[in-house]
Amino acid sequence: MGEGFIILKGLRKEFGELVAVEDLELEVEEGEFLCFLGPSGCGKTTTLRMVAGLEIPTAGDIFLRGERINDLPPQRRNVGFVFQNYALFWHMTVHDNLAFGLMVRRAPRSEIEREVGEMARWLELEDLLETKASRLDLSAMQRVALGRTLVTRPQVLLLDEPLNNFRPALREIMRGELKRLQKQLGSTMIYVTHDQEEAMTMGDRILVMSAGRKVQLATPRELYRQPNSLFVAGFIGRPPMNLLEVTYAREGDRAFLRKGELAWDVTLLRHAIEGGLRGEKAVLGVRPEHVLPVEEAERRGLKDTVVTGKVDLVQPLARKKIVDLFIDDTLIKMVVSSDFPVAKDDQVEVVFHPQETHLFDKETERAIYNGLS
Amino acid sequence: MAIKVERPPVAGGRKPLFPRLVRALNRESFFQNVLAMPMQLLLWFLLIIPTLIVLYLSLVAWEPRMGVDWWQAPFAWFRNYGHVLSDVRFWQAIVRTIGVVVVAVALEFAIGLALALFFQRDFLGKRLFTAVILYPMMLPWVVVGLAFYLLFLEKGLVNYILIHFLGFETGVAWYHYPAVALSTIILADVWQWTPFMFLILYSGLGALPRDPVEAAMTLGASRWQIFRYITMPMLKQVIIIALIIRSLEAFKIFDLVFIMTGGGPGTATESLSLYIYRLGFVYGQLSYAAAMAVLILVSISIIIRLAVRPLEYEV
Amino acid sequence: MTLIGQASRWLGALAICLVILLPVVWVLSISFKPPQEWLAYPPTIIPVEPTTSNYIVLFQPGNPVGGVAAMVSSAEPVTQALINSLIIAPIATAASVLIGFFAAYAVSRYRVGGTFMPFFTLTTRMFPPVAFAVPLLVYYRMLGLIDTQLGLILMYTAFTVAFSLWMMKGFIDGVPRHIEEAAVLDGASPWRVLFTITLPLVRGGLAATALFVFILNWTEFLFALVFTSREAITIPVQVSHYVGAVGRFYGPQAALGIVASIPVVVAGYLIQRHLVTGFTFGLVRE
Repeated sequence: MGEGFIILKGLRKEFGELVAVEDLELEVEEGEFLCFLGPSGCGKTTTLRMVAGLEIPTAGDIFLRGERINDLPPQRRNVGFVFQNYALFWHMTVHDNLAFGLMVRRAPRSEIEREVGEMARWLELEDLLETKASRLDLSAMQRVALGRTLVTRPQVLLLDEPLNNFRPALREIMRGELKRLQKQLGSTMIYVTHDQEEAMTMGDRILVMSAGRKVQLATPRELYRQPNSLFVAGFIGRPPMNLLEVTYAREGDRAFLRKGELAWDVTLLRHAIEGGLRGEKAVLGVRPEHVLPVEEAERRGLKDTVVTGKVDLVQPLARKKIVDLFIDDTLIKMVVSSDFPVAKDDQVEVVFHPQETHLFDKETERAIYNGLS
Repeated sequence: MAIKVERPPVAGGRKPLFPRLVRALNRESFFQNVLAMPMQLLLWFLLIIPTLIVLYLSLVAWEPRMGVDWWQAPFAWFRNYGHVLSDVRFWQAIVRTIGVVVVAVALEFAIGLALALFFQRDFLGKRLFTAVILYPMMLPWVVVGLAFYLLFLEKGLVNYILIHFLGFETGVAWYHYPAVALSTIILADVWQWTPFMFLILYSGLGALPRDPVEAAMTLGASRWQIFRYITMPMLKQVIIIALIIRSLEAFKIFDLVFIMTGGGPGTATESLSLYIYRLGFVYGQLSYAAAMAVLILVSISIIIRLAVRPLEYEV
Repeated sequence: MTLIGQASRWLGALAICLVILLPVVWVLSISFKPPQEWLAYPPTIIPVEPTTSNYIVLFQPGNPVGGVAAMVSSAEPVTQALINSLIIAPIATAASVLIGFFAAYAVSRYRVGGTFMPFFTLTTRMFPPVAFAVPLLVYYRMLGLIDTQLGLILMYTAFTVAFSLWMMKGFIDGVPRHIEEAAVLDGASPWRVLFTITLPLVRGGLAATALFVFILNWTEFLFALVFTSREAITIPVQVSHYVGAVGRFYGPQAALGIVASIPVVVAGYLIQRHLVTGFTFGLVRE
């Protein structure tokens, strides 16, 4: 078709002086699991609420299956919404919560009972049907919130940080459950989160937002490998990408990125750089897992400028270590395997993986190249 | 958790003149009891002792005109109670008062709820309007009674409106017919106390969480369904409390009746409070009034117990 | 919302307020009318020949009302009642709020009296006051408190203290405990904590409570009717005397109603902000 399942065109929302969402363009495909990712207050929840009809856009249009739905009240959009704190009907039993959507549609009693029973079995809520919603534990509340929405067979399921209140361990389990559920139903989902790991593990595509604007819309892999801006580079990946301020300089036929004494030969990339860089100030980015000890780089045949750093801190993890290095006065993090011998105050020689560095314009914060070499 | 007070004096603080006295004053048990003491004394002298006296009075046969002091009066045991229970005027007053409570409180609740819903949406000047609505409940009862008495005079404003705008042939003699006189009293009560219902329901509605309503919207519930299945059940506790408070208050009704009709015509609008007042302070039958008071105290206690019970299970 | 929606809501609210204001406006109107206009047909809201004589007569009953010679009131001047009310209501209010505040602190912080005592105090507000008036009459006779200002002050304090206790308890419960604990750790005595930490923090609540209690005390009628006859008579009783004794003196009756309402209208004005915000009894869940 080429036509998106959900299309947002020039969507804008203002709360008085504050612009919460600014001229957002987006196409969501049918059956897709799309994540909205961004720090709190970036407009992702507001966008979601506009899709559901809970907020009225200041400008712009929302299309669902090619139909403009701006003026439809939430009741008639058939869009499921799972709230951050679940917004269960606390005064009702689990059964009545699940049955609510069908009841208000005046579905026959027999159908309600059948659907509720099925949903309860599927979400393992059968034993809790007569429990008041206010007495459930978090995971059951979440399942009720989901089930209550799914019973009405919404065209789209919108989820607003539904795992926020969970302990990390439970969170991971629930992530898997949700993802499996989405595949099973084949339904279109938009999932709002501020947790990049959550977005990376769950989303087919991720919309990164900042200050009400779209920053990058891409698959998790693309976001990781080809961040289009400093914001995405710093937001995706843990520990975050190392960012070093460098100066670009031509010397005859050759081109270098310089930082103090250090220099990286970028002659081969000079066309790309000169095409994108406005001034001469740039930011060199390299992920901690691409900062290699010089021995490992040699073993893998990767040659580049050798950088010497002084170890400031070593954080051992299960199979990895995170090492904080000072190169002059710039802090760099590297991830090495746990058998790599290193201790505080050691001098360590490292090489930045030549195929995995990123360069950004310092002024515009846009990416100039991502790991080309 | 209580705050712990026992600790060494802090360095640098001034030395008290009477260290032992100061320490005693600051001891936690002393402190907390001293705080509650004035109220407890007050309640002993003006609540508990009088309650004991009214119990005693209800068991003796005493009237001030007998010329003996009340503690010297002969015991009548339960004869006063027997008289009360076979007193037609007493039963009439009870039925009448309960009727006023039911009708007035139901009207106040219905109108108060409608107003509270009406004022949920924002519009220009809302604050000023709500301020006006809340005024009647602050006015003295007697002034409210006076105002309605003046409105419903035979040549008053209400009759004028009836004749000239609603096509009545003559004005209504409001205070000559029992049911009509009673309805003016109810009207005054509704006018004065609907604001109270409005206040409680309005702030109750305002404090309800917004999420469940939005959830119901996305699930396809109409405005009426949201009101019926979400808003009203969430507001249930507030409603019950408001109804209990207002019913108890309305049951006390005295001032309005006293001012507007004086219980007349005859005893046709006499409320229970007014009857007890007349027995005790006009006819001087204090023992008889005391027995009635005790019966009221006991039955209201029981009713409150029963009314509060659903609340306890809810929470 | 649309402009039409706004306008219709506004008009609706205006209509509601007019109905609510009508009785008050009518009393106000009569209070400025001369005798021939009290029952005039057709009635007017604005007096044709406005006069203040209804008010003057309240204080100087010898004067004929509105210059009509036959209209000479035989009632007492209201000066005594006004002075009594202006003494009794504020003193009883101050006593009630202070005693209620201390007790509320003990209940909130130390659970003094368990759950029973605070609920027990409510009995003073649940039962018809006439039930307490019967025994209090013989009691007050013994103590010689009949028809004294002190007698009414004590009674009003006792019968509003439950209100003060519960309202202040709400405000004190809202003061975070750790603020007080910090002061205790700094070496402050409990008295000091109470007066220099907690009291200033609940000052607004204290004021709101005082205004409510003042309204209760100013408008109280039954006790005043039973326990006063001449010396300690209050304004509401005076109003009832006017309606009862002076018969058809509608103008002065209305004027007295207005005079009796002025203090509570002022108190109500001061309350408004406290009223609409933060008055849900903490009953709404979640």
